[in-house]
Amino acid sequence: MLRMPEPDQNTLARRKDIIAAMRDIIPSPGGVIVDDDQLRPYECDGLMAYRQLPMIVVLPENTEQVAAILKYCHTHKIRVVPRGAGTGLSGGALPMADAITISMMKFNRVLDIDWDNRAAVVQPGVTNLGITRAVEHEGFYYAPDPSSQIACSIGGNIAENSGGVHCLKYGLTTNNVLGVEMVTIEGDILRVGGKGLDQAGYDLLGIITGSEGLLGIVTEVTVRILRKPETARALLLGFNSSEEGGNCVAAIIAAGIIPGGLEMMDAPAIKATEEFVQAGYPLDVEALLLVELDGPQVEVDYLIDRVGKIAKDCGAVYSRISDSDEERLLFWSGRKNAFPAIGRISPDYMCMDGTIPRGRLSEVLTGMQDLSKQHGLGVANVFHAGDGNLHPLIMFDANKPGDLEKAEAFGADILKLCVAVGGVLSGEHGIGVEKRDLMGEMFTSDDMKHQERIKMAFDEDQLLNPGKVFPTLHGCGELKTLHAKAVADKFPDIPRF
Amino acid sequence: MVDVLSPTTPDQLRDAVGWALGSETPLEIIGSGSKRAFGHAVQTNAVLDCSQLSGILFYQPEELVISARVGTPLADIKAALAEKNQQFHFEPGNFPALVNGGVGPDAGTIGGLVACNLAGPRRIKVGAARDHLLGFEAVSGRAEDFKSGGRVMKNVTGFDLSKLMAGSFGTLGVMHTVTLKVMPNDETSATVIVACSDPRKAGKAMTLAMRSENEVSAAAWIAPEDAPHLDVPLAGEYGSGLVALRLEGPHPSVAWRADALCRALAEFGECHEVPESHSHSIWKVVSDVAPFVASENTNSLLWRVSVPPASGGDVCADLIEKTGGRAMMDWAGGRIWLQLAGSDAADGMAGTIRDVVTSAGGQADLVRAPSEMRNTVPVFHPENPALARINARIKENFDPHGILNPGRIAPVSQNGEGA
Repeated sequence: MLRMPEPDQNTLARRKDIIAAMRDIIPSPGGVIVDDDQLRPYECDGLMAYRQLPMIVVLPENTEQVAAILKYCHTHKIRVVPRGAGTGLSGGALPMADAITISMMKFNRVLDIDWDNRAAVVQPGVTNLGITRAVEHEGFYYAPDPSSQIACSIGGNIAENSGGVHCLKYGLTTNNVLGVEMVTIEGDILRVGGKGLDQAGYDLLGIITGSEGLLGIVTEVTVRILRKPETARALLLGFNSSEEGGNCVAAIIAAGIIPGGLEMMDAPAIKATEEFVQAGYPLDVEALLLVELDGPQVEVDYLIDRVGKIAKDCGAVYSRISDSDEERLLFWSGRKNAFPAIGRISPDYMCMDGTIPRGRLSEVLTGMQDLSKQHGLGVANVFHAGDGNLHPLIMFDANKPGDLEKAEAFGADILKLCVAVGGVLSGEHGIGVEKRDLMGEMFTSDDMKHQERIKMAFDEDQLLNPGKVFPTLHGCGELKTLHAKAVADKFPDIPRF
Repeated sequence: MVDVLSPTTPDQLRDAVGWALGSETPLEIIGSGSKRAFGHAVQTNAVLDCSQLSGILFYQPEELVISARVGTPLADIKAALAEKNQQFHFEPGNFPALVNGGVGPDAGTIGGLVACNLAGPRRIKVGAARDHLLGFEAVSGRAEDFKSGGRVMKNVTGFDLSKLMAGSFGTLGVMHTVTLKVMPNDETSATVIVACSDPRKAGKAMTLAMRSENEVSAAAWIAPEDAPHLDVPLAGEYGSGLVALRLEGPHPSVAWRADALCRALAEFGECHEVPESHSHSIWKVVSDVAPFVASENTNSLLWRVSVPPASGGDVCADLIEKTGGRAMMDWAGGRIWLQLAGSDAADGMAGTIRDVVTSAGGQADLVRAPSEMRNTVPVFHPENPALARINARIKENFDPHGILNPGRIAPVSQNGEGA
């Protein structure tokens, strides 16, 4: 089972003083939450299998308050768990019994929209979809679109480097963020990046994005906004095997076409979603591709035609093209409801998030079927086929003793399989606590120590979000030590090659 | 005598860095050496030459990924991609020719390109090398192997060290392997040009074009005296400067968008659509910054300015007025190249230029200057002190004895330590 760092008794003993200090910093009513009843909603994020009441929750309202809180925590060595909307799926916002959870949801304003630079400056608690809502009247939108976009915050998106269904063409969060204001654990307010495209020094913006709340708390975000494509149309393509479906994806890309969306579902996922939303999916195919082309009408019509021909050559046994936006959205409704659809046929499900080289798809799916038999649990697959990001949905019953553990073991085996074929542990959900102990499948101890050395440059005392991402916390001393003599002994002579 | 270490395998690379660490011998790290004159001069008694760490490890066009040893010549990689009708979407030009008069086309290595985080005109739409580096393997200044990322497009496993390594100029670790995303060439491209000699007006035209829904993939301004470089018949006829706007994609889409863009830009004067062959040559000139190459501009200085794109026109005009230099804009104004005559002020007018640029929220790097000037003028834009503290800690944690490219980013004499 998951082990988190032991609570610090000294901190717990000072809880009253800490609450008083926080109330001095945030005088507004409701800004400091201390009662169990009110702490309860914060006990988990989207990874609901793990729960822990926070010591207290604070809801700061401005950057100065965040700086004061972190400075206090740094001085008094109190742990901190940053939290956005709490929709994360890897437990990145899982509280700790001795830590202050800092909720950023009062940072909910759009500060500036700079149409000429195509940039929006927003506070981190603004939802992902909220950015698009703020700019769509001028024909703009924000491209990364995680499926939780209605609820998830842009600050959380920065922490997790969130993706979505349009990554192949439009990139992840990291490719769409221009700058952040971030408060360090020492209480320094940093401005990293901006509306220009270059920054002096190392690429700290690139490191902060996807750092899962381990480096600081982001208090302002500048993102790139794009013109919304004039139109979009989608094709549904059915195949007799996932291999044929995968080959069709490769053929589309080989033809130089990069669709806005390129999704695939296997037979169990097709069946579950069709029963749930009646999107009109064919039930007699083994793999279903959903291809969306976006752009000017002339381009979309032209490419739809080309993709249709490619699919025919690849052996598609089913093909349907959306004729209206309603029909396109209907095609998507199945895919977008895949998770609840599985939730309908199984008491519980666990959503995994590996990425694989696309060419290894059928091998991985076969391997997954073998693992399914071995663990005695069902699995359905939805797949961002364009970029290789796989979401196996493991079906189990948490009320059945031992089922959760079985599901976790099955999930771990799937991720190991992804890594074994050249893929990775997480495509877009992050490591958090969920995949923390699997990091060693992908990284050596030295690999992880170099990541931790970034952590040391920002947060030497390891107060920010401890117990997340890294399976073993090395002490700062150990990470910094360099035994010069040992190195000299190991590499004594000038090498001659 | 300068020792030159030329490892041919990752193991040998680790041994070389290990020896340097153990014997406290700082290393200058080079690939082909094509960009050696960029940044502050590194003074060491040993050179780590990575050019023998060479070769494409795998290239899978249908998976849009290529992996190569860092010393692989960029020309070899571009040739392999061209054969499959693919490219690096970030479109790096021949940057080495701006700092080194003796290099040929597509000079440099893939490792050097990543370490300098280069990017060409399409950056305004798709980012720089940092955005396309999927993973790397390296040896840090602690003589330890480390890697990050992988070979897949979507990956959030652990901290994204690839971003850190791109643009770190070999000061944190010596990469031996890089894996990058590639993209198909577009079916066709066209360029819309508008006569325009005033950089302020050009900035407005580019901003309007980028705000339109026509998916402009590159936007540049070329001054009247440099327009003849473009080798486009119309450019000569105009006798003026030009705004150039590129459209890429399937044929019917490009044609449709070119018409729409011309209509949208009517207020700026007559628009012309340049056919595909000339379009390619225009963007080669822009990505290579051909008017300002070192070989044809001896005794001149070259600055590289980055500002929020919409302020580029005004900043560019200010810089020309205050320095008397020649300028060109790329990235819809977000990138300004400014060339000064070498006889200008001894500090390369750094104070004047950085004042203008900083007040616009941007930064300026001195790309080409004699090494004596680079000893005294900070080549790279000064970092904000709070960020500089964090950068210094990262450097110290990755390279505690300062053996990797000491002084490359900031002169050693300036702060008493390597950067």
